[in-house]
Amino acid sequence: MDELEILKKDWQKNQKFPKLSKKEIYRLLHKKSSSIVKWIFILSIIEFCFWTLISLLMKDSEAQQRFDSYDIDYIIMPLMISGYIILAYFFVAFYKNYKKISSTDSVKLLMKNILNTRKTVKHYVLFNLIFLYISIIVGIIIEVSNSVDLKLITAKFTDTADYFILYGIVAILTLLMMVLLTGILLGFYYLVYGLLLKRLKKNYKVLQELEQ
Amino acid sequence: MKSTKEIEFVTQIEKHQNLIHKICRLYSNGDAEHKDLFQEITIQLWKAYPKFRGDSKFSTWMYRVGINTAISLYRKSKRKILSYSFDDVSYKIPQTETYDDSQDQQLKSIYAAIKQFNDIDKAVIFLYLEDKSYKEISEMIGITEVNARVKMNRIKKKLKTQLNP
Repeated sequence: MDELEILKKDWQKNQKFPKLSKKEIYRLLHKKSSSIVKWIFILSIIEFCFWTLISLLMKDSEAQQRFDSYDIDYIIMPLMISGYIILAYFFVAFYKNYKKISSTDSVKLLMKNILNTRKTVKHYVLFNLIFLYISIIVGIIIEVSNSVDLKLITAKFTDTADYFILYGIVAILTLLMMVLLTGILLGFYYLVYGLLLKRLKKNYKVLQELEQ
Repeated sequence: MKSTKEIEFVTQIEKHQNLIHKICRLYSNGDAEHKDLFQEITIQLWKAYPKFRGDSKFSTWMYRVGINTAISLYRKSKRKILSYSFDDVSYKIPQTETYDDSQDQQLKSIYAAIKQFNDIDKAVIFLYLEDKSYKEISEMIGITEVNARVKMNRIKKKLKTQLNP
């Protein structure tokens, strides 16, 4: 007889557990769940709010008001409209994925649906980062070509090489800022989601390997 | 005020509570974790109850929700866990560690070995111990029947090597 058969025999006869009364079970129903899905949902909503808030704050900023005076609506408007359309798309996709999560699905499907929900939010964050970087680059180009202050500064340069130094410094500073921001965000996401989803990802991998 | 649904649900859980305990036994370490997982499974069952149509057996439905909670939904927390107490506090939940000395040494080793297995293996073992067919196992896990058999054979081999190194 193999080990599992020995275990099975014992398993089926040797199961003594404390018995909960109806009153105790009833009390359990009203306890708060600490499920992973609940946490992912809360975190995702926070992320959506955070990034939407950032774009709203940017809209009212001093820089934005200065931009408005440059008469560059043909650049800003398409960027803004596409931003809102994409936000709406991500929100609907996230909600649809979330609704799909059901504890009565198979183990694999449930895992897939949870990971998909997370993936949507990850894509949203990624989209925001790219959108932010594009905005920064477009902003700098607009600023450099329109700002009166900058024109005054650059007017002092007589040598073309000096221009390159100025633009070089601007480019390096921008790049450093982007790297720093990406680093902070990646670190943050790694900490929050890495730890939350570590077990789930590991288990999903086990199932995927089996199917190969 | 308890609704009819609640009374109905609690009656079913009271009747089948051993099933939840058995899942907790495999997936938790120690009394506190056992109770915490028991609580989470019960909450998840209650949340899913409106969708229970009665076309499958209540216990079969419980297996799915219970395993899914233990594997994917349950988040081991460091919060103070003792949110409910059993009537008889002196009653210890049987864990591998607290196994009676008179029990067969071999069984003790098998239980200890299984505790080390990954979550998916544990689910397959659990369903096997509960006398589920490969068809049922494959449906609950979401793999093909052939792969369920492959998995089971690998588990048996792994167990053998672990116990007889």
